[in-house]
Amino acid sequence: MNAPAGLDLASIPERIQSEVQRAIQRSIKGVEYIASSGPALGSTPKDILAVRGTMNLYHYRPIADEIYRVPILIVMATTNRGYILDMVPGQSFIEFLLKRGYDVYMLDWSAPKPEEKSLRMEDYVLDFIPDCVRRVQRDSGETDISVIGYCFGGVLSLLYGSIFADGPMKNLICFTTPIDFREMKLFQNFSDKRYFDVDRLIDSVGNVPPEMILSSFEMLRPASRAASQVQLWENIWNDEYVKSYRMFDRWATDTLPLAGEYFRAITKDLMWDNKLYNDTMLVGGRKADISKIKVPILHAVAEHDHIVPYDAAKHLIQKIGSADKEEVILKGGHVSLVAGANAIKRLWPKLDSWLCERSV
Amino acid sequence: MADKSTDPAAIWQNMVGEMEKGFNSFASQALASPEFSKLVNQVGGASAGAQKQFGELMEKYLVSMNLPSRAQMISMAERLQSIEGQLNEVKALLYELHNSSGMPPDRSVAPRPPRTKQPPSARGEQK
Repeated sequence: MNAPAGLDLASIPERIQSEVQRAIQRSIKGVEYIASSGPALGSTPKDILAVRGTMNLYHYRPIADEIYRVPILIVMATTNRGYILDMVPGQSFIEFLLKRGYDVYMLDWSAPKPEEKSLRMEDYVLDFIPDCVRRVQRDSGETDISVIGYCFGGVLSLLYGSIFADGPMKNLICFTTPIDFREMKLFQNFSDKRYFDVDRLIDSVGNVPPEMILSSFEMLRPASRAASQVQLWENIWNDEYVKSYRMFDRWATDTLPLAGEYFRAITKDLMWDNKLYNDTMLVGGRKADISKIKVPILHAVAEHDHIVPYDAAKHLIQKIGSADKEEVILKGGHVSLVAGANAIKRLWPKLDSWLCERSV
Repeated sequence: MADKSTDPAAIWQNMVGEMEKGFNSFASQALASPEFSKLVNQVGGASAGAQKQFGELMEKYLVSMNLPSRAQMISMAERLQSIEGQLNEVKALLYELHNSSGMPPDRSVAPRPPRTKQPPSARGEQK
């Protein structure tokens, strides 16, 4: 009997030996996996400058001998923890920025407490962000600030920038920031006005539970969790793969609840009425029109983003008022755009080359 | 090196990848239907109501057992968080006072580097 084309008979014993070794390794490492905790995340040295309920402001300790004049304030998405940008040494965006000579602050969020259910969009845009900006100015001694917003942190940064168009924001960088919420098709369907009674939900639960946020993200790709677990078992002999899996899995499942009133505003103003795109958005009675933003802006979007599809993000650059504006479409997904091996070789160097010229 | 088209491990990995893509794509279509939206919101609404009622019932049960309820634990955590927040404020104020007093820097607080860095282009370097 002839071997099928392409099948190298001589390599079969070697393959069997390799597979047996991997099977043994899987059993050993599988036990290790269950018995051990994952790598420590978010360990870049930092000082807590302020904590006000859900709001946390950190300052990362500079590690370069000389830093750029303009500090950076990172505004994290309200659904997730900021350590996605500070995974482990060598894979930390924060560490990268510090090594390149930036002075980095982060506005991170902790789970809003039950009595914080009344936090509204204006608390985030007109209070928390301006408060952090003032604290960064005071701490750094600089008036100008570059703002980086990730995902919904980008939306909050846009709202802030459009209301405080006269400064002190000097540069704005948005990562995967939606503006046309009609194009977030599945989220649109989940929040279909005909069936989704947001008032009833918020009045019942107060803050939106993290399980609900997580399951809505997972429903976008329902097979991916099971498939990733199969792939984990396949690769459990590979320490680097397991380390990476644990980092991302922990972050992805570490979802935050959302303050009830804030979620109500997101649903009604953005998901239902698409007010940011339609230039009718009001925050605390103040018009948030992104054409008023005139500072240099870089918008980085991911080619295969299943959470914020390109169609939901593509109008940002067209609608913004800045003359110095750039959109960059990079390979990767919603998370791999900003963290992991893909980000290290694509987004981070691009951001550095764009921002360094504008940070003096 | 084994040909990927005949390597069982590669075939298996490819199959898992293709199944994931196929199922995700199929599910996306199903989830985009108005029927799904109606169903998920009916179930979600009912479970949110049930969750609230169950929480209230549990609260009463814990009180009758003379155990701290979730609300009391949260209240205690809030007080701790508030103390922590005030300590941070005091720390920040002390730090500011220390900086403005001209006293020698605290050894635990590293001096800030100068804000004089220039981009590579200004230094005549290649990026």
